[in-house]
Amino acid sequence: MSLAIALVVAALVGLRLASRWSLGARRWLMPVCVAALGVALWHGACALTQTKIFPTPLESFGAIFELGRTSRLWNDVVASLFRVTWGFGLAAAVGIPLGLWIGWSSRSFLALNPLVQALRPISPIAWIPIAILWFGIGDLSAIFLIFLASIFPIVVGTTAAVQNIPQVYVRSAANFGLAGFDLVRRVVLPAAMPQIITSLRIALGVAWLVIVAAEMVGMQSGLGYLVSDARNMGKRYDLVVAAMILIGLIGIVLDVLVRRLEQFDEVRWGFAKR
Amino acid sequence: MNAAKPKPKVVFEAVAKDFERRGEALRVLDPIDLVVREGEFVCLLGPSGCGKSTLLSIAGGFEPPTAGRVLIDGEPVSAPSPRRVFVFQEYGIFPWASVWDNVALGLRALSKEQQYERIQATIDLVGLTGFEKSYPMELSGGMKQRVGVARALAVAPDVIYMDEPFGALDSLTRLTMRAELIRIWQTRRPTILFVTHDVDESIQLADRVVVFSPRPGRIAGIVEVGLPHPRDLGSSRYGEIKNELYELLGVRHAI
Ligand SMILES: Nc1ncnc2c1ncn2[C@@H]1O[C@H](COP(=O)(O)OP(=O)(O)OP(=O)(O)O)[C@@H](O)[C@H]1O
Ligand SMILES: [Mg+2]
Repeated sequence: MSLAIALVVAALVGLRLASRWSLGARRWLMPVCVAALGVALWHGACALTQTKIFPTPLESFGAIFELGRTSRLWNDVVASLFRVTWGFGLAAAVGIPLGLWIGWSSRSFLALNPLVQALRPISPIAWIPIAILWFGIGDLSAIFLIFLASIFPIVVGTTAAVQNIPQVYVRSAANFGLAGFDLVRRVVLPAAMPQIITSLRIALGVAWLVIVAAEMVGMQSGLGYLVSDARNMGKRYDLVVAAMILIGLIGIVLDVLVRRLEQFDEVRWGFAKR
Repeated sequence: MNAAKPKPKVVFEAVAKDFERRGEALRVLDPIDLVVREGEFVCLLGPSGCGKSTLLSIAGGFEPPTAGRVLIDGEPVSAPSPRRVFVFQEYGIFPWASVWDNVALGLRALSKEQQYERIQATIDLVGLTGFEKSYPMELSGGMKQRVGVARALAVAPDVIYMDEPFGALDSLTRLTMRAELIRIWQTRRPTILFVTHDVDESIQLADRVVVFSPRPGRIAGIVEVGLPHPRDLGSSRYGEIKNELYELLGVRHAI
């Protein structure tokens, strides 16, 4: 209990002094302080309710180290990331050109947009039986599901991005005789790029959500499987929570990686002044 | 003016435009007849909403007229072309491309060396030397508009359409930009159609000012400026022209 109180005090002092830190330090330290407050609250709640089943923070962090000592954790992380990388990568490779096309040509918008809007609300989880039917239990199924989960945000985002391109850019392009591939490469794609990056961010978030769910239901490895396996094999809730914490942390890392794209000179204009 | 009149460059023949609005036709331009001569600097002056931008879009080939036609060198305009280039009010240049790449936009057909030479010369001409690698978001409003002008000049067009190009700039920068534009126009001698609703701007720039009436736009009158550059803004002739323009616009000059 004293540990929890010490944490609360440290976090509150940290937040109070935050204004004295540099912006770079604040970006790290303030979320860490808030996380420390959350951990202290969690610890306090466990102590108050005297729970025997729900793990304390210490038990959970201990479980992370227990997982880390075996190769189990590493294998599961790699399995999940492998599936997400392929599924998401394929979705981007198909979804961006498709979105550019649907957004640019009003005929393809009329023809394809209803289909996209009809498929979009179907949860990727609902596709699991079909994925297993087509691809069996394994990486291929998971990649297919991640592909489905991430392609719709990408297509819809890219379509909207192209439709929102200001008329002056389109007219400038026409004025200087740009057409065909040149037009796409020099105007349509760069004009839509900031919004495409935002849709990639959303899609990757969804992909990470879905991979865990898919692995809980239909896979034999990965972080989602780790969660369901820990529960089934002797109700190890400390392992469950440990896996959840790791899923969250990897999610942050993935988001930071995508946001790196916002720093390129070619797209900075779309993210400035926020 | 010269003894031998230059030949007609841009000819508006009864150009009219209706826009559809909720099923009804909205008349924006009554038939416009106007002849702009080669190398001439013409300002289109009129109140907001009178159809100046619309007329320019039609001349640029971006929009079809409802009736009539626009001829350039005797050929009817049907589509945009790099022979006649637009400078847009504010955001016409590409924010994702450097100054250099923006100016290079219309020069894709040239060889690498020719491109290089032309781009550098144009950037120097508009006074952006040293900013070749900058991106538009790193430039001031006036510099951005210089990029727009450079991008247009680079393709050596016969006709330049400018739609309130200095509208978003502060009054000091606007004055500088006008002087620069006149300097560039005197070096290259393109035909310029320049839209503005600033009376002073039109007198400082134009050979002739075409005044439009409120919507539906029609030509209320044409004023020859006939002052040599650089123009003395305090001269009595300047004041006379100003009064004439205000009268055509239907506004009282004195407040
Ligand atoms: N695409 C369009 N559809 C319907 N109406 C339009 C369209 N474009 C312009 N209009 C109408 O035509 C009229 C003239 O517009 P235009 O942009 O040519 O005016 P303007 O003289 O350039 O005005 P400003 O000085 O404010 O730029 C306006 O009343 C506008 O509402
Ligand atoms: Mg206008």
